[in-house]
Amino acid sequence: MHMEIYNKFRSMMDNHIILSFKGEINSDIISMVLQIMETKLDAVQEKGTVKKRIFNILVECMQNLYHHAESENLQDTDRRAAMLEMFFDDEFYYITSGNFIKIEEVDKLRDRIERVNSLDKDDLRAYYREILDNNRISNKGGADLGMIDMAKKSGQKLDYEFTEVNDKVSFFGLKVKIGKNKE
Amino acid sequence: MDNLIIEGTKQTPSINFNAGSGILEISGRSIPENTFEFFNPVLLWLEAYSQVAGEKTVINVKLEYFNTSSSKYILEIFKRLRSLLNDGKDVNVKWYYEEDDEEMMETGEDYQDVSGLDFEIIPIEE
Repeated sequence: MHMEIYNKFRSMMDNHIILSFKGEINSDIISMVLQIMETKLDAVQEKGTVKKRIFNILVECMQNLYHHAESENLQDTDRRAAMLEMFFDDEFYYITSGNFIKIEEVDKLRDRIERVNSLDKDDLRAYYREILDNNRISNKGGADLGMIDMAKKSGQKLDYEFTEVNDKVSFFGLKVKIGKNKE
Repeated sequence: MDNLIIEGTKQTPSINFNAGSGILEISGRSIPENTFEFFNPVLLWLEAYSQVAGEKTVINVKLEYFNTSSSKYILEIFKRLRSLLNDGKDVNVKWYYEEDDEEMMETGEDYQDVSGLDFEIIPIEE
């Protein structure tokens, strides 16, 4: 019995898990996670810019979960479980998030990420300016700016996956990398 | 008219808008989940201000970071100020960034480009 928990702990250690969360993301949880991460990032031997990028991407990911996560059956709106994890290896920090979305939103979201992934640094910046200027404000977020901003801050392609769960929802997984930049 | 003073929190910026002097300042971080709630009073104040503004307005922007939903509202602030420019008044944006934060500097350039206002982009030494 005790082996089971030890093995889990061992694997979290070996995979350099900084943070692992599953549950509903609300305002209190966002502030708490950010507070924990600020303390943890202060302890990381990284340049300020890397910390800022991590923090920024983390905020966008959590706010995506806060605004867009659905429940597994779309009905229990108080059970909009999502996951958030942060870990690192020799080269990168990784922020992963996962949440259920309505199946009819998959194509639009995939197109949006593909578009962002197809752009180089300069084009991404031009696209950012265009969307900043043209899109209407949505109270749920920056109207498409989130993915663009994460890609800009990451400097890497966004990794993602969709897993069909039932005839109503898909699970959307997103992995954002942030290059280490040791001084 | 009254000045607009809002104390900053861990999620929302400090606002110090002085109608009499025409010096406006926004500083700190802006990462609230519900951006409308925070920014709507700020935009309403600016609308009233545009009726009484003097010849010169200076806005000091000293943001450490902000989320993408705030970025739309920050542009709205600049658009409100742009209307002063159209009335023949002087508007100067001082966009501050921490010296090593190239991204915040570029964001300043992006806002300058999109808003059509005059920006001074100023590094802060750490």
